[in-house]
Amino acid sequence: MFTVSSLTKSWTHLRVLDDVSLTGAEGTVTALVGPSGSGKSTLLRCLNGLETFDAGEITIAGHRLAAGPHAPGLLERLRRDVGMVFQQFNLFAHLSTVDNVALAPRVVLGLSAAESRARGLELLDRVGLRAFANARPATLSGGQQQRVAIARALAMRPRVMLFDEPTSALDPEMTAEVMGVIVELARAGQTMVVVTHDHGFARRAASRVVELAAGRVVRQGLAADVL
Amino acid sequence: MKLFRRVLSASMLGAALVSTAAAADLDEVVARGELIWAADQEGGGPHVFPDPANPQRLTGFEVELAALLAEELGVKARFQQGQWDRLPLLLGRAADCVINGIELTPERQRDYHCSRPYFAYSLQLLPRRDGPLDTFHTLASPGPKGRWRVGVLTGSAAESVMRSRTDLEVDVIGYDGTIDSLEQVLTGVLDAAVMDDCIFNFYADRFSRLRTVDRPFAGGFYTILTAGDSPKLSAAIDVAIGRLIADGRLKSLYDRWDLAGRQQMLMLRDAAEIPVARRKSLGELARDTLPLLLKSAGMTVLLSCLAFPLAVCIGLAVAVGRMYGPVWLRPLLTAYVEVLRGTPLMLQLYAIFFLLPKIGLALPALVAAVIGLALNYSAYESEIYRAGLKAVPLGQFEASLSLGLSKWQALRHVLVPQAVRIVMPPVTSDFIALFKDTSVCSAITVIELTKRYSVLALSTGRIVELAVVTALLYLCMSWPLALLSRWVEQRLERPAAGGGMTEG
Repeated sequence: MFTVSSLTKSWTHLRVLDDVSLTGAEGTVTALVGPSGSGKSTLLRCLNGLETFDAGEITIAGHRLAAGPHAPGLLERLRRDVGMVFQQFNLFAHLSTVDNVALAPRVVLGLSAAESRARGLELLDRVGLRAFANARPATLSGGQQQRVAIARALAMRPRVMLFDEPTSALDPEMTAEVMGVIVELARAGQTMVVVTHDHGFARRAASRVVELAAGRVVRQGLAADVL
Repeated sequence: MKLFRRVLSASMLGAALVSTAAAADLDEVVARGELIWAADQEGGGPHVFPDPANPQRLTGFEVELAALLAEELGVKARFQQGQWDRLPLLLGRAADCVINGIELTPERQRDYHCSRPYFAYSLQLLPRRDGPLDTFHTLASPGPKGRWRVGVLTGSAAESVMRSRTDLEVDVIGYDGTIDSLEQVLTGVLDAAVMDDCIFNFYADRFSRLRTVDRPFAGGFYTILTAGDSPKLSAAIDVAIGRLIADGRLKSLYDRWDLAGRQQMLMLRDAAEIPVARRKSLGELARDTLPLLLKSAGMTVLLSCLAFPLAVCIGLAVAVGRMYGPVWLRPLLTAYVEVLRGTPLMLQLYAIFFLLPKIGLALPALVAAVIGLALNYSAYESEIYRAGLKAVPLGQFEASLSLGLSKWQALRHVLVPQAVRIVMPPVTSDFIALFKDTSVCSAITVIELTKRYSVLALSTGRIVELAVVTALLYLCMSWPLALLSRWVEQRLERPAAGGGMTEG
């Protein structure tokens, strides 16, 4: 489903990613672990083109990213197939939760208002928040907001989902509720890449674990072997 | 500039209020050793204008007349600058008298002390040589483009005479500058101008494509204004004018300025008495002025409601262009903002109204005013929207892009709607500011509420009563505006409810 070959990226003198290579098959969950500053979030952001890189190549969901700046059209096509969930949720503050989920299907896929809303409600149902369809994001708890953010990313029916430390901003109770949703997705066969500090989660849900340190892959393999 | 204008008009109003108590009479003028006379050098020749050979120095037949009068009173003459239609408001505060082609009218007889006449003027109709107006009577029936458009100096006798001629098919348009109307005849915006013959004679070479039509159709006398409560000064000025006429000094002055000195003297000798106007009762005042004030208030509302939405749209587009547009476009838009913010609104209005016709683009005054206001305010709005867009967290943009939205879709559906909500309070306050700034448009002949007040206050002499009514009218309009925008603000606070995809 995705292949990263010899990815290298530098910020002026600091090498953030150094010859990183990994692959992930369809239906697998890849956990990216490692200390802060090891480059795992940057690697994840390279996967959907939020960051560019200096050398190497990425293929993901049938799209190919080369080094240097990316063409906007390519990125728009790629991102329909690659969803992303952020540490800080980044819900659209001016929209109700259902409109948050329904926006991209309507604007990007051209669904009608009724169709996109129906898809929004169905996904809110799936993350257990249908009752909050008309609430503003600011009135929800952090865990609820992150579940809406997951529903929003799923609304595009992506082939790959990227999670950037999805529970780091949450307390343990809310972490559990969000992790529940992610584990559920993994069982349903969703291909995912998850940046996480939570080794328990990695052990429980990840098919493969990749450990980075100082921009290099230091270990990768089955969760049980690496952790 | 807004503030400056307001302070200026407030202080002039103050001056008028104080004048009843503080006018300097003859003994004070003599003790001071100076006769302070007020005029508007922008009014131009042949009255008072900067000497072309030395622009630091003023010249004109009234400059010389003021010197002669001061000499008669045994003092020196000192010039005080003022805007022509408001010169009388300087009396008693900044000036002892006004000498600036002030026509003797029944209303002025009522409100000030008017000296005996010192000059006889006549009014001339001034069309283009190649135009269809060849006699004054042509004005009695509509022209090829409907009613004739005739420009006059605001507050002048030419204006009141032309406005009183209901028998003519004429729209009268008032200008703040004496020769603005001549410029507009040249560019074809006006069919003709009407002004004192001596002014046109003075500028005839510069406007050689214009001509006089028929004999002068009306006329009257210039008078020197003094405050009503300085009787000794007024009397002394009358005596001095009498002596200047009697001993031939006034005639030789007019001869030097090529102002038909002999003919002037005959007319001054035979000057008829001008009646004094009656002071209107409050009821009459309300009946005569309220409809006009209300109509002008309508113009104020019209200008704001046309200009502001335009300013907001342009401002938003400029802000988006500066932040997300093509790299080559950004410095151009920055220059656009800096030029429009860094030059006065008045100057921009002048440029649109008086300079564009020179390159063949003559806009009606209302259109020019709306465009001028919209462009000027768009610069301010774009800065507000830029700040608003910057205040939207970067994560909102990244989340939009990650969903497959293009940059422009993200702007349209996520960034701009949020920025609009953030900047609602300053934008509202700008709307109210623009609402009051519409008064600047009087410089290009649009008569809105402030201008109407100024004209009516001067013609009726009821400065205070009309000021109160005008202020109330402004308040009655701006308060609902404030309420409306607060309501919009609150509505935007709420998310799009139910099935409505109403973001943006």
